[in-house]
Amino acid sequence: MAAAHQEPAMSAGDPDLLDRVRRVLEDPVHRENPLLPLLAELHHYAGVQDQRMERLLRIADGYQFLQHEQSLTLAERCEKQLRRTEKLARISDRYQRELLELTESLREAANKDPLTGLANRRYLMERIRDEIQRARRQGSALGICIMDVDHFKQINDRFGHETGDQALCRIAAVVQDSVRSYDVYGRWGGEEFLLILPQTATEEALGVIQRVRSCINGIHVPQGKAAGMLLSASFGLTTLRAGEEDPDILLKRADQALFRAKDAGRNRVEQG
Amino acid sequence: MASLINDLEIQGTQSTPVVTSDWSRGCLQMEGNSYPENSFEFFSGIFSWIERYLDEGAEPLCLELALIYMNTSSVKAMMDIFDLMEEAHGRGREVRVRWYFDPRNERVMEMAEEFREDYTFSFDILPREG
Repeated sequence: MAAAHQEPAMSAGDPDLLDRVRRVLEDPVHRENPLLPLLAELHHYAGVQDQRMERLLRIADGYQFLQHEQSLTLAERCEKQLRRTEKLARISDRYQRELLELTESLREAANKDPLTGLANRRYLMERIRDEIQRARRQGSALGICIMDVDHFKQINDRFGHETGDQALCRIAAVVQDSVRSYDVYGRWGGEEFLLILPQTATEEALGVIQRVRSCINGIHVPQGKAAGMLLSASFGLTTLRAGEEDPDILLKRADQALFRAKDAGRNRVEQG
Repeated sequence: MASLINDLEIQGTQSTPVVTSDWSRGCLQMEGNSYPENSFEFFSGIFSWIERYLDEGAEPLCLELALIYMNTSSVKAMMDIFDLMEEAHGRGREVRVRWYFDPRNERVMEMAEEFREDYTFSFDILPREG
């Protein structure tokens, strides 16, 4: 478009006009004209201005070109930097996600019994402490019960450890199904399980534990064509007493009650 | 020239990888986790070793990595190193990365693949037992 644009005829930049004026100045006919020196001066001035204008345009064009180039490379650099930052964030996010998942699986491993999938002793110990504190704060009851599978050694000896492990898993499932949703339970170790019964006084606790006992007594361990074996478990139950804070005291009392249950012929609940 | 160069021998810690270099073989190795307290400081020695190696010689460079966990600034430092190698590769220099991962941890492999994107030099991701 710019190329098609015509300069006005009066412009100093019009070489034709300057040329015509020069020819007039040189023509001897006008030698005596009093305006001649002034016109000569004007002609000279126009010529100089014309050259300056050209130079100015060239310089301005140069700057414009440079500016254009610079903004192009700036845009490219910005684009590249942006891609880099995105990549950095992407990789970093992945590492972070991986770390979170690792933490989660470690937490699970730390708190879960790998065989039965129930909570492990570590987790239960933590929860006993928490529940004791809560019961003390709220002035509520708290039941703690240790359960031990009867004659478990015999199961292992007669049917093998694999059958023993399977029996433990079935016991775990039965405990899970027969407690209430807010009870806390898990594998205390070996064939021992622990039940924490929040906000539960003796009478109610006995009801829950008797239910668990009777459900376990319904588990039959089959052994091919042989008679197999009916499972049972013994329970030692205790409740939090006023002023008590140390979980070991409660656990010891529950353990002593459990011994009495074993002594009294097993498959029963004793209180301590 | 090689005798003038101090090769790297950085003991690994729980948060920093083992780093060893061998100027004569054109080889730099990094192995372990990387989440140093000051990543800039930790990586500056590694970065300048690579920079000098690429500037002063014409022999190939091989980066052998067995990095596991990296924090954000370590990821950035590794990208800077790979960028440096990409530049050298653009000038016709032979450079390569071998990233080893424990086949039991495929996540590391996926991570290395993310790193590899956008680079045109040879970048192998290889399983290594143990």
